[in-house]
Amino acid sequence: MKRYGEHRFPGRLFVVEGIDGSGKSTQLMLLHQWLKSEGYGVVFSEWNSSLVVKDTTKRGKKKKLLTPSTFCLIHATDFADRMERNIIPLLKAGAIVLCDRYIYTAFARDIARGLDPAWVRELYSFAVKPTCAFYFRVPLEVSITRLHAARSGFKFYEAGLDLGLSEDPDESFRVFQGRIIEEYEKMVPEFGLSVIDATLPIEGQQELMREHVISKLERAKQLRVAP
Amino acid sequence: MKLTNGVVLPGMELTDLVGKLIVIEGTDGVGRSTQIALLKEWLEQKGHAVLDTGLSRSGLVGKGIKRAKEGHTLGRITLTLFYATDFSDRLEHEIVPALRAGFVVLTDRYIYSLIARAIVRGLDPLWVRSVYGFAIKPDAVFYLRIGVDDLIPRVVFTRGFDYWESGMDVYTTEDMYESFRRYQTSMLEQFDHLADEYKFKVIDATPDPRKIFEKLRNGITRVLEGESQRAPLEVASPAGGSAGRTTESPAQTPEAGAKAAAAEAAGSDGGIMDLKV
Repeated sequence: MKRYGEHRFPGRLFVVEGIDGSGKSTQLMLLHQWLKSEGYGVVFSEWNSSLVVKDTTKRGKKKKLLTPSTFCLIHATDFADRMERNIIPLLKAGAIVLCDRYIYTAFARDIARGLDPAWVRELYSFAVKPTCAFYFRVPLEVSITRLHAARSGFKFYEAGLDLGLSEDPDESFRVFQGRIIEEYEKMVPEFGLSVIDATLPIEGQQELMREHVISKLERAKQLRVAP
Repeated sequence: MKLTNGVVLPGMELTDLVGKLIVIEGTDGVGRSTQIALLKEWLEQKGHAVLDTGLSRSGLVGKGIKRAKEGHTLGRITLTLFYATDFSDRLEHEIVPALRAGFVVLTDRYIYSLIARAIVRGLDPLWVRSVYGFAIKPDAVFYLRIGVDDLIPRVVFTRGFDYWESGMDVYTTEDMYESFRRYQTSMLEQFDHLADEYKFKVIDATPDPRKIFEKLRNGITRVLEGESQRAPLEVASPAGGSAGRTTESPAQTPEAGAKAAAAEAAGSDGGIMDLKV
């Protein structure tokens, strides 16, 4: 079993991280479009895990059966499935793989739920180290304003309502996401996350992202495929 | 107070877990479930409340694991973590509440089978142990040990070989017999390591089930009596190969004493020994 940092695949793995409302998914979509237009073999990893694992996760969330520990472990199972079934084969084949959220999301969430930081990191040590992980840094207030404009109300686990931080979903979301931001900030130096100021105009953020990505693609050019 | 293997899950209070956690480990087909059924009845007759549990029986994951195994669809890391999820669900929702309520928890396998399976499938032994770092240390692990040559006839003449128990996912051979032999041999090797590391009480599982039951009863009696089991338990670990077996110390109560004597008379071979060969 290879561990984080030990994998040597011809492909490239780019991931985006950040709290909800940081705009990371938009940026990843723009990057995807650009890489496709440039003719790279690029795949947006759809998190379509096997039905069995997905069903269990869904049921657990819907019926609120999950404790912090089982929440952590079922997501690790789900992630392992995507890793073994999807991401590793793609990287072996030389693809550019794009992931919306990665192990850093799990670290931030699980530790915010009280799990042991060292244990959670070890749990995910089977994951491939990304070529580059972007962290979209945004003040909590900005993300909340964006989310309120986009949808009505937060989901149970997303707002950390399982932790009993507050009866009020908005308040619970605020406290929980605040903890998550703290965890992300600790991970920036630890994992060398590339920080992008998510309050900048969308175009400016995308430009920064593309510069980073280009610098990592020199060798991958040989693997270009027809668009 | 109970301890874990290093990590404590959020919200898991380890004090006041007054019950006893007793694990019956052993490879496939060795007769664990028969023994557990007998032990449960015996313990209940003695007035103990018993929870019997086993792998993939959690409300959250149990069905999912069974489906996954039917389709042979999951990778080895994924399956390992699926089992860990199941275990954590049962630990939090079943085992810990039962221990808090003073039950004797009899579990058909524990993390050790899961660790052995994962290692035989090529996963990193340190990683697998770390994954199960949140497991509560049992009050005793009884390992029903059998050699592969004794195991094969039992399985062949009863239910036949099963895909997973034969490690058909591990080896490329089409020969189920060969695969079963190789897989179970590797599993037994892993169990022998684990027996050493986690201080299992090893019980020879080749004799008649009644004799095995006697040995288990004696062992469990000592666990339930508390102090008396402490001495033989601790002798087992650092002594190395020198103390090949721990002899059955005379039990405290007259009843248990009589049983121990009966077991001794029934067959001097075996006994509960420390696995250091």
